[in-house]
Amino acid sequence: MIEVTDLQKTFRVHRKARGGPLSVFCREVVNVRAVDGVSFSVADGEMIGYCGPNGAGKSTTIKMLTGILQPSSGRMRVAGLDPAQDRKALAKRIGVVFGQRTQLWWDLPLVDSFELLRHIYRVHADAYRRRLDEFTELLDLGPFLRTPVRQLSLGQRMRGDLAAALLHEPPILYLDEPTIGLDVVAKARMREFLAHLNRARGVTVLLTTHDMADIERLCPRMLIIDHGRVIYDGATEAIKDRFGGERTVVVDLEEAAPPLSVPGAWVVKVDGPRQWLRFRRAETTAAQVVAAVAASSRLVDLAIEEPDIEEIVRQIYEGRPDPT
Amino acid sequence: MAERTRNQLRAAFRGLCDGLDLYIRLVGAQFRAQLQYRTSFALQLVSNFCGTWVDMVTIVLLLSRFSVIDGWTVGEVLLLYGIAGVAFGLGDMAVGGFDHLSESIRTSAFDRVMTRPAGTFLQTLAGEVLLRRFVRIFQAAIALLIAFSLTDIHWTVAKVLVLLGALGSGMVITASIFVIGAAFTFWTVQTSEITNVFTYGGQEMMSYPMSIYADWLRSFFTFVVPLSFVSYLPALYILERPDPLSLPAAFQLLSPLVAALFFLVARAAWELGVRHYQSTGS
Repeated sequence: MIEVTDLQKTFRVHRKARGGPLSVFCREVVNVRAVDGVSFSVADGEMIGYCGPNGAGKSTTIKMLTGILQPSSGRMRVAGLDPAQDRKALAKRIGVVFGQRTQLWWDLPLVDSFELLRHIYRVHADAYRRRLDEFTELLDLGPFLRTPVRQLSLGQRMRGDLAAALLHEPPILYLDEPTIGLDVVAKARMREFLAHLNRARGVTVLLTTHDMADIERLCPRMLIIDHGRVIYDGATEAIKDRFGGERTVVVDLEEAAPPLSVPGAWVVKVDGPRQWLRFRRAETTAAQVVAAVAASSRLVDLAIEEPDIEEIVRQIYEGRPDPT
Repeated sequence: MAERTRNQLRAAFRGLCDGLDLYIRLVGAQFRAQLQYRTSFALQLVSNFCGTWVDMVTIVLLLSRFSVIDGWTVGEVLLLYGIAGVAFGLGDMAVGGFDHLSESIRTSAFDRVMTRPAGTFLQTLAGEVLLRRFVRIFQAAIALLIAFSLTDIHWTVAKVLVLLGALGSGMVITASIFVIGAAFTFWTVQTSEITNVFTYGGQEMMSYPMSIYADWLRSFFTFVVPLSFVSYLPALYILERPDPLSLPAAFQLLSPLVAALFFLVARAAWELGVRHYQSTGS
């Protein structure tokens, strides 16, 4: 479905040279390689997580795969087409959701956006009706179909955006941070819908997200890129086992204190009365760590952090050995 | 072979119809969205309507003092002003979306345009058509009627056609300037002030007889940016005035052709800009 070979994208960035008043005229031109030889392939009906820290080259890759950007070199094949050559033909076979910006018409009722998209994608009236009914039921759009988009909650808007991206029944769906800013319930609902879409319709999904939980729930396989290169391509389970073994308890004490000493955990950061304690899941539990802290100091508040993608990337570089 | 040509023509025609259909739907959506805010819309109409008279009052005051500008009476200058105003108003309303391309690039809204199976030009064209711009066209049309009553034009069919041609061509020429300006945005990201010189400045310039400007300026606005074809040259024909610059008389009838050519230039500039965007991003 998606075939990428040695994909590269170099941007020319103008940097102001430092110094004198004429510095505007002697700008330095720097070549920045945003995507540096990325290769991967996604099979028909696969659901794959595409992750990496900010600035790793994720969006640049997506932009090339959608035909927005031309690659500097390398080969791409999406649904049998070359995105760089056949932008418009490709557009009919892909759905794109950018979590942070809606494609819906802000001031019009939600259903008006669907109607306009039907004409942009030239979806037949019957097929459109059928899909709209289906999505209305699956995503529970009914209560706000006639509400102007600007009045929708973020969760409602995201559901609307998902339906909008799927009205033309694309075999491929790109999702860029689809759960960003959503609450737990809305996230769960979104994941459930995506899983259904993939299972029942065989839609191939490329999911870019910061939320490791999205990937763990949805994508059996994940790609991690950093500095424009693929640093991991394989099972999500393996990453979870190797690097998800550590968690962090954040404790707020009544007053600033020297780093706590807790068996099975070690302090990684101190910020005034707040301390971060990391532990291995295999060796102790969050409850034990918290109990130990509470026994030795006055605990005000606490939170537990899952390892995020930045943390995993850091650990991959450190080549941290398997903790178990 | 003939069969193939016919099929190609039919496909091209169907493409055109589909494009037009989509355009009308998208613009209709724009209008509905703008009418959502009725009070703000009404206030904008009123303030725009008041604002548009300033230029015209300037002309009338100027001529009440000097009575003629370079041999042109108030009525004749108002004819220039009216044609330029209606043409510019139409052009400005048609391509408002291009005027906001800079914003669209910065907010990545243009990426969305690129992921849809329709032309970037069509989508941008339909992206922002402001209803309130009607006010300016309306005001310029009144100026045009005043001009008709102040001058005694001997109307012929040819003159009516030249007038309508000037309005249509003027719309296309000013719209093309906006499009070319927008195309530069793909390189500069910020909308350049230079574009405004040619658009808003151009409208002001077209409201006076070209003969008052320096030679090089006139040549520039005839052969490079063809603003002379919007109001000045057609007005010479309608008023049956001799051309003090002795350009061939045929020039007075060439506006539609010049507009069509200039539009092709604008279209090419746009495609070039989009291609640049595809290689550099925002």
